[in-house]
Amino acid sequence: MKKLFTIALLFVFATGMAWAQNEKYTQAMGDGIKALNGIDRSQPDPKSLVDIANRFERIAAAEPKEWLPKYYAAYANVLLGFVAPTLNEKDQYLDKANALLKEAEGIAGKPNDELEVLKAYQSQIHLAADPMNRWQADGEKFQGFLQSAKSINAENPRIYYLEGSSLFFTPEEYGGGKKVAKPMLEKAQQKFSAFKPETSIHPDWGKMETEWMLSQTN
Amino acid sequence: MKLFYCLLLFVTPAVFAQKNIQGKVTDHKGNALPGANVFLKGTYDGGTTDANGIFAFQTSESDTATLAASYVGFEVFEKKINLKEGIPAMTIKLEELANELNTVVITAGAFEASDEKRMAMLKPLDIVTTAGAAADITGAMQFLPGAQRVGEQEGLFVRGGSGQETKIVIDGMIVQNPFFSSLPDVQSRGRFNPFMFKGTSFSTGGYSAQYGQALSSVLLLNTTDKISNNGLGISLNLANAGLNYDYASKNQSVSAVVYYGNLRPLFKLVKQNVEWIHAPEFKGSSLTYRWKPTKNGVLKVYGMYSDSHLSMDSKDPFSDSGKMRLVLKNNNAFTTSTYTDSWADGRWTINSGLSYSRNKDNMTYDGANFDRFDERTQARIVLTRLLTGNNTVLFGAEAHAINIGNGVNGTLYRLKDRYAAAFVESEIYITRALAGRVGIRSEYSSVISRANVAPRLSFAYKTGRYSQISLAAGQFYQNPDYRYLYLNKSLKYERADHLILNYQIIKNQRTFRVETFYKNYAQLVREFTGQKYDADPYRFPWGTTTNGGDGYARGFDFFWRDQKSIKNLDYWVTYSFVDSKRLFQQFEQSATPTFISNHNISLITKKWFEKAKTNLSATYAFTSGRPYYNPNNEEFLKDRTPAVHNVSIQASKLQSIKGNLVIFYATVDNILNTRNVFTYRYTPDGKTRYAVGPQSYRSFFVGMQIMLSKKAKVEKDDF
Repeated sequence: MKKLFTIALLFVFATGMAWAQNEKYTQAMGDGIKALNGIDRSQPDPKSLVDIANRFERIAAAEPKEWLPKYYAAYANVLLGFVAPTLNEKDQYLDKANALLKEAEGIAGKPNDELEVLKAYQSQIHLAADPMNRWQADGEKFQGFLQSAKSINAENPRIYYLEGSSLFFTPEEYGGGKKVAKPMLEKAQQKFSAFKPETSIHPDWGKMETEWMLSQTN
Repeated sequence: MKLFYCLLLFVTPAVFAQKNIQGKVTDHKGNALPGANVFLKGTYDGGTTDANGIFAFQTSESDTATLAASYVGFEVFEKKINLKEGIPAMTIKLEELANELNTVVITAGAFEASDEKRMAMLKPLDIVTTAGAAADITGAMQFLPGAQRVGEQEGLFVRGGSGQETKIVIDGMIVQNPFFSSLPDVQSRGRFNPFMFKGTSFSTGGYSAQYGQALSSVLLLNTTDKISNNGLGISLNLANAGLNYDYASKNQSVSAVVYYGNLRPLFKLVKQNVEWIHAPEFKGSSLTYRWKPTKNGVLKVYGMYSDSHLSMDSKDPFSDSGKMRLVLKNNNAFTTSTYTDSWADGRWTINSGLSYSRNKDNMTYDGANFDRFDERTQARIVLTRLLTGNNTVLFGAEAHAINIGNGVNGTLYRLKDRYAAAFVESEIYITRALAGRVGIRSEYSSVISRANVAPRLSFAYKTGRYSQISLAAGQFYQNPDYRYLYLNKSLKYERADHLILNYQIIKNQRTFRVETFYKNYAQLVREFTGQKYDADPYRFPWGTTTNGGDGYARGFDFFWRDQKSIKNLDYWVTYSFVDSKRLFQQFEQSATPTFISNHNISLITKKWFEKAKTNLSATYAFTSGRPYYNPNNEEFLKDRTPAVHNVSIQASKLQSIKGNLVIFYATVDNILNTRNVFTYRYTPDGKTRYAVGPQSYRSFFVGMQIMLSKKAKVEKDDF
């Protein structure tokens, strides 16, 4: 009886440990995501972004089997690639985002639409850093990643948000513009309303931005 | 219930045992690094450094742990620490990772246009947006430091070298006929569309052992790997009409181009200094296929065919009428296929290619036949091994079969050359600030039955974060002009030795570069006719020949580019000085050849008007006077032509018409209508001289490019 009790105790102890670890992970991820969502999108503060990117990297280092920390670290670095002041710094953050994405892909093990979407986003921001010289190569990459995201999960709303935003920011002379972007953004909005992230810590960004852009198209 | 609390106590981390960890993160010079990530590996405990590089965080770990620090662009730092004892504040020094800013690049003699390399001084787009370049690759290269402008001939004249001393190379393959067929005193355009290339590297000397058969320079052109516009394009201008179609799927793409050109309408509008009997008329097509069979592999197949027809009365001081009627029909085909791939995580790279070109000129001068024919088949393979610390070693080989034929007044001269070369080259980083490139090339040419061995050497040292000095030296061999070889196959290679010293600083979108050089020419072909110097540039060299010639070229050049000081304005200035003398061809004494101009200056400006979506570009080019042969002057080649000035402007405007992108462009060349003279020619009696100038003085050109359905990828079901 006593032996059984000890085994039971050990069992409870072990699962408890695992449960606590898991809880701690979800908690830390949730905190990070909350901080990320708290960033002012119209004027992101690079310092807080660096802090958030670092946080996710720490989680990533402690949880080598999870792809999401790397994903969010990459996402924060892409945002940094947008706000950094010089081309050289932008590229350093974007290169870092790329490296993190590669690692995340390795962990995920199978094709993942969210990672493809983020790769597309990375290409878009890379293009925006030096559009005159990069539109050709990066435009191609951007489309390619979105295509492969679509082939994995055509319901991912961020695919249509990125397509819409790309049209939104492309000058009318090049076949873009707010008007052209509207139907695509509407499609994104529709997909967002049907979208439920797998868990509370899975990617769920872009809705706010879609709505802002849509408000500008009228 | 008690038990449950008891368990909870076990599993919750020991909150009461918090320890402080603090310190500072700096680079190796002690500068604070704000935003660095400092943490204990395997835990969530850590922090970000503040503006002073200071970090502080708490941990509940109580045993030993690994402290890690990471920062974008720096190597990760790791250190085991013991948490049992108190942790004093620590300073962590991070080492910078190798990047384009802190690693030296070998640059002596190289002038690059690239999208991929941040250190490149030009972008591929610069070639088409430079006024005066006429959207021609070599046209744009003429404005770079080290190049001399020679208005009446095609080719790149680099640092005292003739046009024949520069080879044009596409994806590693030598292009046999890079220009449209040469005409008397008319500069021919390049055959290739600048949009085909993603990168251009113009060498002003001291180039890599991978290339040979060029005494002065190589112009390396790399074709694009993929296309991004699906759909149809139309180009229309005063000289030609063309269609291009691109189609890309995931791993394959095809581009097709057809065009028809006729210069008659342009010549009706712009006064010509040349008497055209049949204005140049040409048609052509090209097809490109690209395939990515593996992750890193790219196969490219390119084929083009063109033919042209023209007829002109050119000035000829040697004929009684003072004129000579030229009729030229040209057929040209060029195909090249290249395969590149890498494996073992990029440690091995292969570049291989196969190419065939064929060119036929049916040409008559005053009814006499002067047909020209050439074909070249070549194969090339280069293997590159990436070693630790960014060091590389490459080895490769190439083989060419060249057949040339020349009809001279009914006599057909033929030449066959089987040429082979092998080369090894290594790039060694001694430190991040000091690198060297050592190469050796060996060649064999069957037509002269001779081999050569040419060493090449470059060094570069980083003198500051944005500046560096480099040095290049080497030997370069080239077969004598084939026209000499028809009659004398025992000639040796001509040789040039280069020594180049370069300093450059690239900072904040401003570039300054200065280069000085000394070039020694040896074994140049001399021709002995036993007669007076014959200045006719189209004469056939019939005299006896030896390799007894020599010469030198020395000088320096500057380049300054500023894209920063004024918003949307980009300008660059180049100045090249060269002093050169040679004893070669029919020269009886050492003299400065006619293609040398001591001073070349160009000022190029580009301004982008955001609202009007218009790019405006203006170019001023100055070329000092060149020597010309005056039979009445006792001193050989002592006379100088007047200097050549040219101001040209170009505007291009982007516009969307019904959702299609349209680019309009207009250029005016020689806007001041300067009566430039390139050289003078004398009648045989020496009494009358003719000025040779440009094909036209002030001239203009307009055209447009329409890209239909640029967004062909947005399909109906996307909505």
